[in-house]
Amino acid sequence: MSEDSGLWLLLAGPASATGLYWALYRYYRNTDKSHAFERDTSVEAKPVTGSDQKVDEVLGTQRTRIPDDNVREYRKRVKRV
Amino acid sequence: MSTPGAQPPSYTGPGSPRDVPPSQGSYGVDPATLPKPIQDELRAHDPAAIDTSADELKDGLNRCPKCGATDIRQKPGTDQLICLYCRHEWHGQGVEKEFGLGEGLDKLTGTVIASGARDIAADAASLMSFKCTGCGAEVTINTENAMTARCHWCRHVFGVNEQVNNGAVPDAVLPFHIKKDDAVARIRQFVGKRQMFALKAFKEQFTPENVIGVYLPYMIVDGNSSVDVAGQGEIETRRYTRGTDKEKKTYYDADVYQVQRHVDFTVDDLPLESSTQRGNLDTRTNTNNIINAILPFDTKNAVKWNASYLAGFSSEKRDSDVEQLRPRLEDQLLSIARAQVEASMSRYDRGVRWEQERLEVHGTRWVAMYLPVWLYSYHQPGSNGGLLHYIAVNGRTGETMGSVPVQQWKLLLAALTVGSFVEGLAIWFLGASL
Repeated sequence: MSEDSGLWLLLAGPASATGLYWALYRYYRNTDKSHAFERDTSVEAKPVTGSDQKVDEVLGTQRTRIPDDNVREYRKRVKRV
Repeated sequence: MSTPGAQPPSYTGPGSPRDVPPSQGSYGVDPATLPKPIQDELRAHDPAAIDTSADELKDGLNRCPKCGATDIRQKPGTDQLICLYCRHEWHGQGVEKEFGLGEGLDKLTGTVIASGARDIAADAASLMSFKCTGCGAEVTINTENAMTARCHWCRHVFGVNEQVNNGAVPDAVLPFHIKKDDAVARIRQFVGKRQMFALKAFKEQFTPENVIGVYLPYMIVDGNSSVDVAGQGEIETRRYTRGTDKEKKTYYDADVYQVQRHVDFTVDDLPLESSTQRGNLDTRTNTNNIINAILPFDTKNAVKWNASYLAGFSSEKRDSDVEQLRPRLEDQLLSIARAQVEASMSRYDRGVRWEQERLEVHGTRWVAMYLPVWLYSYHQPGSNGGLLHYIAVNGRTGETMGSVPVQQWKLLLAALTVGSFVEGLAIWFLGASL
């Protein structure tokens, strides 16, 4: 085992304490709940149209996702044009 | 129509409704990894909620104006009105059919505002006086919290039936379907599975029988709009590792695409809180998000306004006009559009970063409605006036959500205990592997 992964393992205690605290806090206080109108509202949409154009390539990155991925964060507003 | 650059509503906070709520039954941690007593609490049954499209909510809605007496109430558990004098029962008129709501949404243009959703007059008073036709006495109704009153001399019952321009009279009302006993049972069940870390004072003072039936004001909005979004997406083309055993690292190659999407859509019956106070969902200062979370209602079954439905219940008055709610509507329409286009982005396995969005609202229709909520509240003392915790039951579907105040030291102790145990395991594992 490398020294790197050993040090990483020491974070398991504080991480699980914080994780459990927030999970139980939210279970009692439900601060993360709101009307899921994206799922619950009756929406009739015409087929989605659009365009996809290759503009660039990324080579040899260590990132696993695109920076600032927001495809599932429907409520995070971006620039209105 | 749309106002580019309009400020989004300011109800942000940690874990606030700016985040899409988690799907039902997800806790952030796997319950199986937790100690047994905590696991049991998490896995206990939630109060069951009726689907808003359920048949049992679809009562026939025709009105029979046969009875002449004034002592009229809603028959509990039904959409019917009953005369307490001659026991005659009849149905209210459905607004959906009456006003032709929910039809021709794709042809909706401009802003159509139902009469009960019109702007509130600045000088409109909350107190309304009536001259009793029975005995001539003056009877006053405070429309801030009630829509009916009884003449204390001759016991005639008055209801605010005509539309007054103070925002108190909506177009429609959705009568209570869940009875009080049922609401009490649901609140008991909800709190029952949140006992271990609940505030001691809350548990001691817990009396769900004190739950109050409240009609809260909402705007029910239909909309016809188009949204354009633009951004960049990445598709992985190659994945490889470099370095030797200890320094092994994974690298990715990807194609970057400029993507655009356009969607035309209509929304039917989107509910928006039309009380400024209830519309403020800042979870740091209030628990209004609890009441927001029990939406939606089966608004299709709403009946035309009749104050008799409110006899015995409390009500809150609308204080927001259509224009004040428009930024909130636009925000939600954009969110809905972003959810709609997500399915078309599945090939972008490294995600998409939306950078620009444009909303064009072609038409909207606004109807003011009173929706039924059973509310149990507990005031937790603290700095800045403390915090009012709500447990709310949807008066139609029975969906239950609540905020149970926590005993901080207990919760911290549990977290630290589990954390220390995990840390102990980690140290033991490290020691063994050296």
